[in-house]
Amino acid sequence: MLRFLLISSCVVLSLTACSLKTTEGLRQLESTKAVVVNPYFSNPEIDYVYKAKIEAYGRNFGGILIIKKMEENHHRIVMTTELGNKLLDLQFKNGVFTKNFVVEELDRKMILKVLKADFRLLLMEKSLVLNAYDSETQRVYQTQKHNRYNFYFVSKESDMLEQIRNTSKVKEKVVVDFYSETGKEADSIFIKHKNIKLHIDLKKFKDE
Amino acid sequence: MLMRNTILLLAFLFTSSFLIAQETPMSASEISVFKEKVSAVAGKTETIKSDFVQYKHLDFLTSDVKTSGKMMFKAPDLVRWEYTDPYQYSVVFNENQLLINDGGTKSKVDIGNSKLFRKLNELIVNSVKGDMFNNSDFDVEFFKTSDFDKAVFTPKDAKIAAYIASFELLFNKDDGHVIAVKMIEPSNDFTRIVFSNRILNQPIDASVFTH
Repeated sequence: MLRFLLISSCVVLSLTACSLKTTEGLRQLESTKAVVVNPYFSNPEIDYVYKAKIEAYGRNFGGILIIKKMEENHHRIVMTTELGNKLLDLQFKNGVFTKNFVVEELDRKMILKVLKADFRLLLMEKSLVLNAYDSETQRVYQTQKHNRYNFYFVSKESDMLEQIRNTSKVKEKVVVDFYSETGKEADSIFIKHKNIKLHIDLKKFKDE
Repeated sequence: MLMRNTILLLAFLFTSSFLIAQETPMSASEISVFKEKVSAVAGKTETIKSDFVQYKHLDFLTSDVKTSGKMMFKAPDLVRWEYTDPYQYSVVFNENQLLINDGGTKSKVDIGNSKLFRKLNELIVNSVKGDMFNNSDFDVEFFKTSDFDKAVFTPKDAKIAAYIASFELLFNKDDGHVIAVKMIEPSNDFTRIVFSNRILNQPIDASVFTH
C-alpha cells in the first residue's frame, strides 16, 4: 500500500511538473501548417533600428540596437551607446554565432550566452512546427530548438505574430512581446526573462 | 558620343583633382597660427549652447542612424548632451560621474575607476572646446581646405586605439570654433556629430548639469 502511494504520488508529481503553463487552456489542433514565420527582421532592405532600454538586476542601461539581414540566414547585430560608441558587434551566419567586437565590460561568458540566446530567438525567421494549439483569439505554434521549445502566438484576426514564449520541457524561460502596426516591422518589442532579472525594451526609431 | 564621353571624362578628372586638391597638410607656421587661434577661442569660452545632429555610420547599413538634440558646455569641464529626436535622453558628464536620464529613467554611472572612460570623457570635453592639442595621448596631424581646418588625432595608447582609430575635429576657418567631430573606429565605422546654432558665453544655470 505504502509502495503504491509512493509510486502514485511520484506519478502525480511528475505529471504536474510536465504540464507547461504555456499551453494551459489551449486546444491542440490535429493538422497545422508546417512552418511558422517571424517576419520582423526578415527584409534585407530595411535597417532595423531600435532604442533599447535594459534593466538587469536593478540596474539600467540604454543604447541603440541595430539589426540588418545581410542575406538568407545571415544577420548583423550592433549595439551602441546613445553617444555612438559601439558596445557589441555580433553576427549569426548559417547558425554560427560570431562576435566581431564586444567592449571589455560586456565581454563575459554569461552575458554573451544570454545575448546569443535572445538574439537567436528574436531573429530566427522560419521554424518547423511541432504542434499547434488554438485559443479564442490566437493560434499557437510550438517549435523545438535543441532542448528548448518556442511557442509562437499569432493573432487569428490580424495574422500577426504577437508573442514568442521560450520554454524548457517544464518551465517558461523567456517571453517576447511584439507590437506592430503593419505586421511587417515591430514597433516595439519587450523581452522578459523569467529565470534571471533581465528586461529588454526595444522601441523602433520612427521612419523619416 | 565620343564628344560626350570626352566631356564627361574631363568633368570627372576636373572634379576628382579638385576633390583631391581640397585637403592639404598645414605647414609648420600654419599649424602654430592655427593652434594659437583655437586656444585663444577656447580660453575665452565660458559656456556653449549648440544644436547637434549625430550620424552613426555602419558600413553594412543603407543609411546612417541619425539622432539629434542640444549640447551644453560650461567651463572647465561640464558637458550635457541632450537628445530630443527620435527619443528623449540626456547624459551629463559631471566630474567622475555620468548622470543619465533615459526617457525618465534616471541612473548614475561611476567612471572614477575607469581610466579608459576618463580618457574618453576628457576627449569629449576637450573636443567641444577644440583645445586638445597638448594632449600627450595622441599624435596630431593638421590639414586645411578652402572651407575649414581639420585636426586628426591618433591615439598612442593601445587600449584607446582598440576603441578609436582616430578622432577628427573640423574647425570653422574664420572663428576657430569646432563645427564637427568625427570618431572613427578600428572597423572604419564612425560617429559624426555636426554642430549648428552655436551660442557662446550666455549664462547656463548650474542645475542643467545635475540630474
